[in-house]
Amino acid sequence: MELSRRTLLGGFAAVAGTMAGGALVGCSSGMDAGTTTKKNAATELTMWCWPGGLGKSVLDDTIAHFPDPKIKYSEIGGDFKQKLVTTFNGGTSIPDITGLKGEDIASLLPQADRFVDLKTVGADAVLGDYLEWKVKQATTLDGKVIGLPIDVGPTALYYREDVFAAAGLPSDPAAVAEQLKTWDAFFEAGVQLKAKNPKALLVWDATDLYDMVVGQGTERYISQDNKFIGDQDHIRKAWDTSVKAMTLKIDGKTPSGSPDWNAGLDQGTVPAHIGAAWVALDIKSAVKTGAGKWRLAPTPSGPANFGGSFLAITKNAADPQKAFDVIKYMLSPDNEAKAFADAQIFPSTPAAYDKPQLKAADKFFGGQVPIDVFGPAAKAIPVAYQSPYDDSVAAPFHDELKTVQSGAKTSDAAWSAAVSKAKAIAKRQGVQ
Amino acid sequence: MTATAGRKRIWSYWRFYLALSPFYVLFAVFGLYPMLSTIVLAFQRWDGLSARRFTGLDNFAFLIKDPTFWQALENTVVLFLMSTVPTLVLALVLAVMLQSAVRFTNVYRIAYFIPNVTSLVAMAIFFSSIFSTNFGLVNAALRSLGIPQQDWLGQPWGIKIAISTMIVWQWVGYNTLIYLAGLQAIPKEQYEAAKVDGAGAVRTFFSITLPQLRPVVLFTVVMSTIGGLQTFTEPQVMVGNSGGTGQSGMTVVLFFYRAAFLDNDYGYAAAIALSIFALVLLFTAINWRIFRERGENR
Repeated sequence: MELSRRTLLGGFAAVAGTMAGGALVGCSSGMDAGTTTKKNAATELTMWCWPGGLGKSVLDDTIAHFPDPKIKYSEIGGDFKQKLVTTFNGGTSIPDITGLKGEDIASLLPQADRFVDLKTVGADAVLGDYLEWKVKQATTLDGKVIGLPIDVGPTALYYREDVFAAAGLPSDPAAVAEQLKTWDAFFEAGVQLKAKNPKALLVWDATDLYDMVVGQGTERYISQDNKFIGDQDHIRKAWDTSVKAMTLKIDGKTPSGSPDWNAGLDQGTVPAHIGAAWVALDIKSAVKTGAGKWRLAPTPSGPANFGGSFLAITKNAADPQKAFDVIKYMLSPDNEAKAFADAQIFPSTPAAYDKPQLKAADKFFGGQVPIDVFGPAAKAIPVAYQSPYDDSVAAPFHDELKTVQSGAKTSDAAWSAAVSKAKAIAKRQGVQ
Repeated sequence: MTATAGRKRIWSYWRFYLALSPFYVLFAVFGLYPMLSTIVLAFQRWDGLSARRFTGLDNFAFLIKDPTFWQALENTVVLFLMSTVPTLVLALVLAVMLQSAVRFTNVYRIAYFIPNVTSLVAMAIFFSSIFSTNFGLVNAALRSLGIPQQDWLGQPWGIKIAISTMIVWQWVGYNTLIYLAGLQAIPKEQYEAAKVDGAGAVRTFFSITLPQLRPVVLFTVVMSTIGGLQTFTEPQVMVGNSGGTGQSGMTVVLFFYRAAFLDNDYGYAAAIALSIFALVLLFTAINWRIFRERGENR
């Protein structure tokens, strides 16, 4: 979104114009409770997803496999959720099948009545094929399932084998897995690495690490009975873990995706990263010289999940049953394995992990088979309830942690500021 | 004149009204309607999908108590001052230099204007590379001078410097061209008279150039105020939706964006938007007063 500047009328209109996104949309939907009953025409099956959300060969194959009604696929760029919400409010051209991103699903669960409960069209028969915790993300508290998982984002420790070896740390994946089992052991290794190689900081960014530790737990900021629990021990533990990396001075302060991160990965000053399976693509594109020297090990203290998306059927679908047949076909273990080969879309069906496409060794990781690390991780991710307001409430914790990182505040002062800000946001959203 | 004659006269201009209507129709649809519905929305709770709920002044009550809003307001004003003052001073200096340059004037004009038409997002990415800690150009320069490198985008003041540098870079050329146009409207005789009277370059600048430019300066100050108080893209791309360390890059428009499109709190976002509107009005009025009064007192 870009704002026009320095023209009197333009400036005036911009204030209003920025709101047009919300406001225009708002009024057209009127004041009704939001269940649109107008069905789409049965002559076409419309499907929306974002670029790279589905494997190309799987998509082509699915379109060929279902000639009647013909699938009309649209790739929607930009802010996907915003465009979907706008379309819902507009009331026309709502797709029959739509992708939903993992980070948006929690905030869409209260809108479950806009989607078909997949259990009413026979999802019970296939839900067992998918990772249980992932299905749970798309399940409402009263048991409706609004989306079938496309993919997941299990985390692992990516590291430079040669940098580890030079510092006297274990370098073989099995030995790394054995020694760096916990955050404490990981930090110890970081201190040792820094002593031998002052430029190589094991923790790329301590504030990123915080999210990893939160994701390893079974509780987040708001409990299932809608109470604020962000001030409790499980969050404080994640906070302290992150702060410990800062006080040990093994925090590289290079957020993933930043220019420093990209350059550091290539030059060995960012010798490790903990990230989801899809981060492999980012690392591969950043690294020019160190290909073949990277390895994968399990995340210290257990895996977490980042990203991963769903396919859902809207209430506007003329033939929900047919739409479900389509997504069931697209997201079968065979097709998920194909999508992984196409575009590194990590399968949400454990059965796919044994397919040849996933069993392939990866030269970038020195011939290691990535699924040997990511597969067990995906199965072991803890189930945590995520409230629709989780992201809003989490924001102050990130903001305040950064002030600790910059040295502007002590950990305790920042913590109490984060808790009080988060509480105010939670209260406004109706959380107790 | 009778009433019917008056009406007749109005209707006889229908062709002119028709010719003017596209602007008014577009303005009503894309300007007036969103504006009015924003005002309505500011008194409601709405998450973007469910039914809207009228909540009276709740959004404003929360806004006044929200520390992030005050932080954003402070950041916005600080960033505005840090970027507008250098921009206008630099632009004026450049304009005077361009005015007296003999060769390649057009080349310079184009060169100065190019930043203004470059994609803002692309430039923000470029600037965040320049200011990056380990491999950035700014730190490379500092290191070569023996000054320790700084964590520009990780420190509250560093973020503000990086953002305002980018705004200055982008808007200097635009304002230079406006000043240049203003300079060319000043009668040559005045300068000749000054020369005859033996005034130096500095004296000429303060006694002739600056007073004559006053209306143009007012224009650029008002435009910079409106633009500066709506800074959004630069911090969003450089330090993200959270506004970076200590939220020091969180401007009011970024705060508005976060409330609407990340927190799905549209009613609250509308209240923030109205506060931006009030802020712009206030600052414009202040500028207007300062510059006009000085002009009259002269």
